[in-house]
Amino acid sequence: MNKELEHKFISEFQENQNIVHKVCRIYTSDQESHNDLFQEITIQLWNAYPKFRGDSKLSTWMYRIGLNTAITLYRKSKRSVPTQDFDTVLHKIEATDYDNTEDEQLKLMYKAIHQLSDIDKALIFLYLEDKNYSEISETIGISEVNARVKMNRIKTRLKTILNP
Amino acid sequence: MDELDILKRDWKKQEATLPKISYDDIYKMIHKKSSSIVKWILIISIAELLFWTGLNLLIPDSYLEIYEKFNLKTFLLATQFIHYIIVIVFIYFFYKNYKAICVSENTNLLMKKIIKTRKTVNYYVYYNIIVYVLLSIILNIVMFSNPETLIEALNPGNLNIDGDKFLNIMLIVQVVTLIVMLGLLCLYYRIIYGIFLRRLSKNYKELASLEH
Repeated sequence: MNKELEHKFISEFQENQNIVHKVCRIYTSDQESHNDLFQEITIQLWNAYPKFRGDSKLSTWMYRIGLNTAITLYRKSKRSVPTQDFDTVLHKIEATDYDNTEDEQLKLMYKAIHQLSDIDKALIFLYLEDKNYSEISETIGISEVNARVKMNRIKTRLKTILNP
Repeated sequence: MDELDILKRDWKKQEATLPKISYDDIYKMIHKKSSSIVKWILIISIAELLFWTGLNLLIPDSYLEIYEKFNLKTFLLATQFIHYIIVIVFIYFFYKNYKAICVSENTNLLMKKIIKTRKTVNYYVYYNIIVYVLLSIILNIVMFSNPETLIEALNPGNLNIDGDKFLNIMLIVQVVTLIVMLGLLCLYYRIIYGIFLRRLSKNYKELASLEH
C-alpha cells in the first residue's frame, strides 16, 4: 500500500475519530465491544479510502461507513443483546421508580436508546449529531418523509418515557 | 427546556470524554484483518461453489459405463456440458454482484446488494438440487423400465439374487439418501442464515416496511 496515502488517511482519521467513537457508543454497551467495533469501522474506512473522491465531506463519508459497519457488516455475538419492541421497553421503564432529576432523565433516555432497533439507533444518532432530514434520508436510504415519520415516532416515545 | 434538548446537550458534552486513539494504534488497526459479514459470505459462497462443482467430478467413470448400457452416456455428457456453462454464468453473476457491494453507499442499498449477492449463491444451490433430483428421476425411470439390463449391470458376477427384492432395496436406498441429503442441506442453510443473515434481514425488512 502507498505509504503517503496511509499517512494521509491516518492523519485525517485521527482528527475525525470522534465520529467513530460516537457510533460505537450508540451501538455497544461495554468497552471491549466498543474497541472491537471501532477497529472494524477503521478497517472498513481504510479499505474504502482509495475510492474516496472527496465529492462529499470526509465526515459525511465517515458517518455512512461507520453506521453501515455497525448496522450491516459488523458481527459479534457478544454485542447482539436482543433488541426489544419499543412498547415493551417503555412499559418496563415506566414501571421503575421515576425520579424527575435531569440525570435520571438522561439515564432513562440512554437506556431506552440502547434498546432501540439498529435502524432507530441510526436515526436518533444522526439527530443527536444535528444532521438534517435530507442528510439522514440519504445516509439510511429512505425517503425524507419516512425519515421524518420514523424520527417523530422515536422522539414522541422518548418524551413519553419522561412524562408518563 | 425540552427533554430532547437536554439529551442533545449531554451528547455534545461527551465529546470531551471520548478516547483519543494514537497515530501508531490506528496504524496497527488498519493492518489487521476485517471480519465483516461480507467477507464471510464471500468465503462461504466460494466454498459452496467449489463443493457443488466438485461433487460432479467425484462421479467415478465406472458409473458412466453402467449408464452406457442404457444408451444414456451421450445424454449425460450433454447435460454435463450444459451444466458447466450454467456454473460459469452463476460464477459471473456472483462476482458481479459481490463487486457491486460498496460500504460507502446508503444503508438500504448496501443491505440490498449483500442480500442479492447471497441470493445468487442460494439460486446456484437450488439449481444443483433440482438438477440432482430431476436427473435421479430420469435415470431411474430409464433404468427401472429395463430391469433385466439393470440387474445385469449392477450384478456382473451373476449372483443368484431375487430381482424384485433387489430393485426395491435399490429404490428405497435412493429415496432415503435423497431425504437425508435434503435434510442436511436445510439444516446447513438454517445455520448459515442464523449466523450471518438474521440481523441483516431483520434490519432490511424494517427499512422495507417503512417504504411500503
